[in-house]
Amino acid sequence: MKRVPGKTVRAGWWSFGVLAGLLAGPAAAHDPVFGLGPHTLFKEGVEIHLGLDRSEAGARQDTVTTLELAYGLTSNWTVRAELPYVDRSGGVDGAGDLGVATKYRFWRRDRLGEQISGSIFGRLNLDTAGEGRGRDATDAIVGVAYGYESRKWYRWAALRYRYNGETSTGLDRGDKVLVDLVGGIRFRQSGYLEPDWVWMLELNGEQTGRSRLDGATLPDSGGSEWFLSPGLMWTLRNFALKTGVQFPVWSDLDGNQNASDYRARLELEWHM
Amino acid sequence: MAYVSNMVLEVFTVAIWEKKSMLWCSCLMPVLLWWSTEAWAGGVQYELRVDGLACPFCSYGIEKKFKKTPGVTGIEFDLERGLVIVRTAEGVELSEERLQQIVADSGFTLRGVKRRLLESP
Repeated sequence: MKRVPGKTVRAGWWSFGVLAGLLAGPAAAHDPVFGLGPHTLFKEGVEIHLGLDRSEAGARQDTVTTLELAYGLTSNWTVRAELPYVDRSGGVDGAGDLGVATKYRFWRRDRLGEQISGSIFGRLNLDTAGEGRGRDATDAIVGVAYGYESRKWYRWAALRYRYNGETSTGLDRGDKVLVDLVGGIRFRQSGYLEPDWVWMLELNGEQTGRSRLDGATLPDSGGSEWFLSPGLMWTLRNFALKTGVQFPVWSDLDGNQNASDYRARLELEWHM
Repeated sequence: MAYVSNMVLEVFTVAIWEKKSMLWCSCLMPVLLWWSTEAWAGGVQYELRVDGLACPFCSYGIEKKFKKTPGVTGIEFDLERGLVIVRTAEGVELSEERLQQIVADSGFTLRGVKRRLLESP
């Protein structure tokens, strides 16, 4: 195993912390902005998705633009590929790690004006980015999501586990657990071809394990952060605009780490 | 037009059976049946009761699927009542199995279908 200077290692897990939050699995359709929802595309449906993520933590600023393509293999099974473009403070920018993801809706109950469903989710963040723009490892995320939607009310709950691979420098980054509890409301029940507004409030929790290097635990790693995240989804027929901001409400990070100041997300989505 | 042709068919059928003439029946019935078919009508309207329709954006899959179906001329949604109204061109029929499949492929559940002949424009 290669030994590396401490500065490089620190930069590695530091950047991972921010990017992990941004790229833990983008939302789709009438799913939460930051959390995971159970929605899948219709059979043979195509989704083009453009996302913009902005985050600040101390002096650090990251902007990630993501282009995604999704396809509905069946009405319950969607596959997705994502290519982020990373612009990080310090003059680092370029293509990030390619992501591939899939979601399978294993349960659905339909009633008049209501749909309740559950899905499982899997994702791989491949180690394709250049130095400093990615995580220098292949990471895997699995998750399960529940969702209830009606003409007026929405609620979602999701749990994700992120297994982080070891980097080429021998850094074993701590795994991550993400929890999402979300409520939403449509104040006015709009018709099919009318603009539709759904307002959401998310509670997103992240628990990160300690990182290790050559068997030694890194003191400035791991901990928990909780966010309260107001969000909005605006749709018109097959076009959607989603946006939201994560505000940290509780933070317990180990050692000397910059807590998040905020994270913001803007998404445009077309279904074809 | 469909209404008129059905009325004519009914009158002639009663007249023929009262005369008990099998010759009349065998000659005229095919003609009358053809006349009364939906070839003379303006297509069919299907009123689908669909469960799971909560939001307009998610309903787009149904529109997309039906618009790809040959012979479908129009589609409307009434989300409050869970209704999808599908209209077809003259002579085009959609079986219940086909309707069921389209709705299922869109990610929803078909609960019922009402079929109505449309008059010619």
